Amino acid sequence: MANLDTQQLDEVIASGRRRMLALGGAALAGFAISSVAKAQTTTLTDTDYLNFALNLEYLEANFYTLAASGQTIDQMGISLTGTGTQGTVTVKGAGPAACKVPFANSLVQSYAMEIAQEERNHVSFLRGALGTSAVAQPAIDLVNSFNGLAGLLGLGLSSFDPFANDINFLLGSYIFEDVGVTAYTGAAPLLTSTTNLDAAAGIQGVEAYHAGLVRTVIYGLDQSATTLGPAGTASAVASAISKLRATVDGSSSISSTRLQGDDIGLGTQTVMLNSSSGMTASTLVNATTTGSINAAGSTGTAGSMVFSRSASEVLAIVYAGGSGMGGFFPAGLNGNVK
Amino acid sequence: MKPGTMQWIGRKLSRRNFVAGAGTAAGALILGCGGSSPASSGTSPTSPTSPTLSDGDYLNYALNLEYLEAEFYLRAATGSGLGSADTGNATSKTSGGTQVPGLTMVQSEYIYEIAQNELDHVRFLRSALSSSAVPAPAIELMNSFNALASAAGLGSSFNPFSSYSNFLIGAFIFEDVGVTAYHGAAKLLTNKTNLTAAAEIHAVEAYHAASIRSQIVLAGSALISTANAVENVRSMLGGGNETTLSATGIVAADPTNSIGFERTTDQVLHIVYGTGNGAGVKGGTFFPSGMNGNISVTTS
Repeated sequence: MANLDTQQLDEVIASGRRRMLALGGAALAGFAISSVAKAQTTTLTDTDYLNFALNLEYLEANFYTLAASGQTIDQMGISLTGTGTQGTVTVKGAGPAACKVPFANSLVQSYAMEIAQEERNHVSFLRGALGTSAVAQPAIDLVNSFNGLAGLLGLGLSSFDPFANDINFLLGSYIFEDVGVTAYTGAAPLLTSTTNLDAAAGIQGVEAYHAGLVRTVIYGLDQSATTLGPAGTASAVASAISKLRATVDGSSSISSTRLQGDDIGLGTQTVMLNSSSGMTASTLVNATTTGSINAAGSTGTAGSMVFSRSASEVLAIVYAGGSGMGGFFPAGLNGNVK
Repeated sequence: MKPGTMQWIGRKLSRRNFVAGAGTAAGALILGCGGSSPASSGTSPTSPTSPTLSDGDYLNYALNLEYLEAEFYLRAATGSGLGSADTGNATSKTSGGTQVPGLTMVQSEYIYEIAQNELDHVRFLRSALSSSAVPAPAIELMNSFNALASAAGLGSSFNPFSSYSNFLIGAFIFEDVGVTAYHGAAKLLTNKTNLTAAAEIHAVEAYHAASIRSQIVLAGSALISTANAVENVRSMLGGGNETTLSATGIVAADPTNSIGFERTTDQVLHIVYGTGNGAGVKGGTFFPSGMNGNISVTTS
């Protein structure tokens, strides 16, 4: 029975993916295609994937710790040493303390404090699990990276300071959290150790909690007409970020019928639920939206599941489209996944 | 819950454990409807101690939980639940649940989104399992919440469908449990495709959980207290695995390493059956006749 079950599930998912490929558009950047192809020929170990995750956690932990406390993680007592080339964090010109967000909303400040602690815990956990195999913190850029991404959003922004205020901080968080979810989701089935898989699933869940929190807060604040001036509402900026991620990662999933590719922005969708008329729903969850595709009573396929990204797709995003380095990691990641 | 069918189904040990934590309110929760009934007769459950559960068994276990969530959210959203094409039953076996009144536009958007997600999960799992999919078991959405409220010290009745605030508490009950259930099952799946699907659904439940938890925090201290009273009950039934909800406690994770919690199938069954620790529990509370499939009776 198990074999039959799994074959059936395989088939359902495979057919869903085939359909996605068939729908794929031509909006592909050459660099992304080549990097995806390269990854498929490499044999990677659990250690490699955990180090890949550690690089991402260094990034997240520094971002949140700077935002919440005005300090980098080493200033909070976390060791940065390990294999590879250790780098520093590029912060605002006035130094780490200047990165502490002047929060106006105490709840948003609380969220920053919590997420900062949790991302530091992830760094410590992964460093502990990897032991002497842990990679050093690579060079991280939290200034030019955001400015560069802002220019790619197509909203007329030439710079973006995620530490400037509550909304900017939330949008900075938005850039990271959904990516973390897709990265852990993509890596989970590649891990060979059950212990590692279990831990990765647990961290994946926490990143999804973070993403759900951030998306809910941004969408909620927008209901009180919070705007970013000419760039529009925060949700509009978030949606532009999602579109950019879906384009840069080279997943070939943006098409005329699948405008948002493998990344759903903040807004509304039409769902059918158990009636024949459409209803307007939010998109707090970044997942496949089949609400407007599945008719009531249909046997839907892979609906309402988060997206999964390969390591190469994740790298394309954090390198901001650069090859081997760039964006948040100006010297590339440390380790074998880079 | 008809008075004539009320009976204690907790074993002595479980009752002791439960009462020790919840005080005199515990009794109400252990009052199950299905104590003397076998787990659903609609399927052919094997021994609960069966050492070899297949991926299909775990997916059916997840399907039962998705039936519960989908019924809850669909009824809150529209007043009616899963149709027969989505349950495998000619007529609905779910009782309770009405459309939540007085919603703002954004609140309705939130409910519709989660309802669609959970409906999609039901459809995905039923499609994946095909002829192996279990039909929806009996689901109870009125007395179950009343029993939980009593156990949590929140009074003798609680209707999660009466207002958006109450709906948030109802949703809170389910979402973190869904997260821990999928996390616990992930490493037990043998097929990588199944694992990926489970991981993808696991994260969706975590998005939901965070959204619900943050909305409760935004609503203020009264609702936070209510949620934490419920959480205490969930913690006692489900082996701990809880983080007290607060503005700095949105994420439910181990505080030492910030890795999300996980629960065994037994711990999840104890929560949705509303009974304390112990083997041989066949149903109760949200599933008065138990879940369908091979994971339906607690083994510890």
